[in-house]
Amino acid sequence: MTMKKIQYYISALMLVAVAAMSLSSCSEDKLGPTIFPDVDERLDPTSYTYQLDKFLTENYLKKYNLTFLYKMPDVSTNMNYNLVPATYENSVDLAVLCKYLWFDVYDKVAGEDFLKSYGPRIILLIGSPAYNPTSGTEIVGLAEGGIKVSLFKVNAMRISDFNMMNEYYFKTMHHEFAHILHQTKTYPNEFNTISIGHYDSNNWQDRSEGQVASLGFVTTYASSEFREDFAETIANYIVKTESQWNRILDMASRGWASGDEDDVTSQFYCYYYYPDNDATQDLVYVDEYNVFIETDEEGNVHKYWRNFRDPEGNRIVVYDVEDNDKIDGAEAILKKVQIARTWLKDSWGVDLDELRNEVQTRQATYDINELRKLVYDIQ
Amino acid sequence: MKKFLNISLLSLVAISSLMLGSCKNEVDEIFDEDAVARLEKAKTEYIDILTSNGGKWQMEYYANSDEPGYIYLMTFNKNGSVTISGKNQWIGLIQGQNFGTMGYGSETSLWDVITDNGPVLSLNSFNKFFHLFADPEDIPSTDTEAPDETGYGHEGDYEFDLMKYSNDTLYITGKKYGIDMIMTRVAADVEDEVYINEVVAMADSFFNAKIPQVYINLPNGVRWIVKNGATSILKMFREGADEISTAETHNIIITHDGLSFMNPISIDGYLIQNFIRQADGSLLCRDDNQTTMTADPLATVFQGTTLTWRLDLDNLGGVFAELLPQISSELKSYNNSTLVYGQISYIPANSTYAVTFNVKRGSTKINPTYYFTMDAQSDTQMKFNVGEGDRAGQLYAEKVPSMRAFVDAMGSGTYQMSANSLLAPISMRFTQGSNYMIWNIL
Repeated sequence: MTMKKIQYYISALMLVAVAAMSLSSCSEDKLGPTIFPDVDERLDPTSYTYQLDKFLTENYLKKYNLTFLYKMPDVSTNMNYNLVPATYENSVDLAVLCKYLWFDVYDKVAGEDFLKSYGPRIILLIGSPAYNPTSGTEIVGLAEGGIKVSLFKVNAMRISDFNMMNEYYFKTMHHEFAHILHQTKTYPNEFNTISIGHYDSNNWQDRSEGQVASLGFVTTYASSEFREDFAETIANYIVKTESQWNRILDMASRGWASGDEDDVTSQFYCYYYYPDNDATQDLVYVDEYNVFIETDEEGNVHKYWRNFRDPEGNRIVVYDVEDNDKIDGAEAILKKVQIARTWLKDSWGVDLDELRNEVQTRQATYDINELRKLVYDIQ
Repeated sequence: MKKFLNISLLSLVAISSLMLGSCKNEVDEIFDEDAVARLEKAKTEYIDILTSNGGKWQMEYYANSDEPGYIYLMTFNKNGSVTISGKNQWIGLIQGQNFGTMGYGSETSLWDVITDNGPVLSLNSFNKFFHLFADPEDIPSTDTEAPDETGYGHEGDYEFDLMKYSNDTLYITGKKYGIDMIMTRVAADVEDEVYINEVVAMADSFFNAKIPQVYINLPNGVRWIVKNGATSILKMFREGADEISTAETHNIIITHDGLSFMNPISIDGYLIQNFIRQADGSLLCRDDNQTTMTADPLATVFQGTTLTWRLDLDNLGGVFAELLPQISSELKSYNNSTLVYGQISYIPANSTYAVTFNVKRGSTKINPTYYFTMDAQSDTQMKFNVGEGDRAGQLYAEKVPSMRAFVDAMGSGTYQMSANSLLAPISMRFTQGSNYMIWNIL
């Protein structure tokens, strides 16, 4: 320890001591009864929002000491953003879905005390996105100090589009909760070493999902830094369906190449070269739906670009982009999942796969009209 | 090292003093109650104010200083709901109408008075007809060159510091962007859509894009020319001054009883903001009770060389009402044609005015035209001096004598003029005894 640091710590200790003395001199103040009414007293049966308020009180406040804020006070958000409140109807939907697809899942898999101890204390619904106009990005979710989770874009919620629902709400909540957990009990440092050198905190948003998958990341945001990678790995593993997860692993197993950034239709990566495996030719983007795969009598696989032919009328042959990043993306992703799996089990007693199965089952079978009755049937 | 220790010691003394000071239990008795109690009391008082007497209020809402103000009616209920109604082009847009077409919308959402540094009116659940001004999405526009406002939107507020209540008026300030606005109490039995439509009608009576300009008449006799009134972003400059280099722009709001500038403005040393509609349709400044807003006299407007006026064929009186069916009958007899319209316009090539009858025969259109000059006898009295017609006019004068008789009737004597509005006279009636005709601006 350097001298300068020692001086700092001594000064700091003295300050703390003086402060403690000063504060202790205030201890004679007598505290009166609480000025806050009992939670049940706050409920007004004549209120326009009584049903939702009653539901939130019973299912969130009393159970988890969690305030579910759907009436958005602008002052409780970052005033640098232009935001609007959520609609009442969407707030009802999100309140019942959060319970069914998130809180009830953890209760079942990890026990009822788990979220009571570690769950967030405030969930804030925000109707609009939080745009960063300068960077062209938007905040999908926000967890502040492990206490408050903000969910955005509630007014654009599409109940029938589960990818959207996961992306903006439930995956976000798993993501933010993963942060809360690892800020409480650190995950193994080994995780941070798997993709070291491939994070890009400044330009992650310009990467493509194929590109980052090949590097071993489940999403572009995961490639921003290792803590986000950790949270994204857990969250995506939980909410992605089997086919969605396999698609990530499939992309991770392929090569990738940058496309034409000026071409707005370009995905900035592709799986195939055109033509004849000649890397000097222009890249073409071919997605899985536009590839026609044919196996000849010898069992050789030939791939053609569907619906396109060269000037002579021959089908255009396409080839896989060479995976030259020297990374087995799928292996990296699975290794990260394994670390998260072990850490969740050992540190928290939570079975990641059981959690995933429960989420998958519920999100595939829930009936929103039945869930809404939890609120609208309250008398 | 020594310097560092000195600084540390000084810091310790300063911080200790602060902390010890914070333990002082004696507080000067300025208020009867502590801050929390007073804030809660203020909150309760404002909730009572907002919900009493039916709880209906007119909000003069400004999203920003570059747009007009918009009138919203808000009915605050004690159960925490508020019904918000409005009519403007942005509502029209979200209702799927063409850009620029106004739409009426009314929706119920939530409200509360919350406490921050003081009582704050928070419209705290999304109301699609109101929060559209706070939404950070790009503002839709037909202009392909329009800037991308994603992240900003209109930058309107939906939380308002409740500053003062006086005489059924609430003085409020946007929480985030700090624009001062007012809310005034409205009778509980007012129907929202009726009230809002009356405001729109009021706006139509003040400004019309086809009337080039109106005037602010200051007590010192100086006039300011006001243009672009129909946009509610007024372009104003002193009469006689250079328009390009001296014009200022000010946004206004049309209310149920007049119009107001967003902020008080100073012109020629006079501070003006609020104008009240008078019985004659002019506007009188409420702030000094002297400044007025008027338009050109009707006779001057009607002689405007850029305007075209079309005859209201369904609303004629006296001799004109008698001649119209005769014209139709004679047209049919002559060549089986029909009268489509009659209109008055200025003919620059002849430096004169012309009344033109549009006659349709099959797919052929013929325009018998008769030239005339106008001689204003006063601000509201006009004499038409009718002359010869063009070739078609002369032919039709012979074949359809009632057409010429109609024109001659126009030219007989002086007509008394009146209009739908003093400031936006887009429909003028010319009366002479029982004879009358109405000409509408095209």
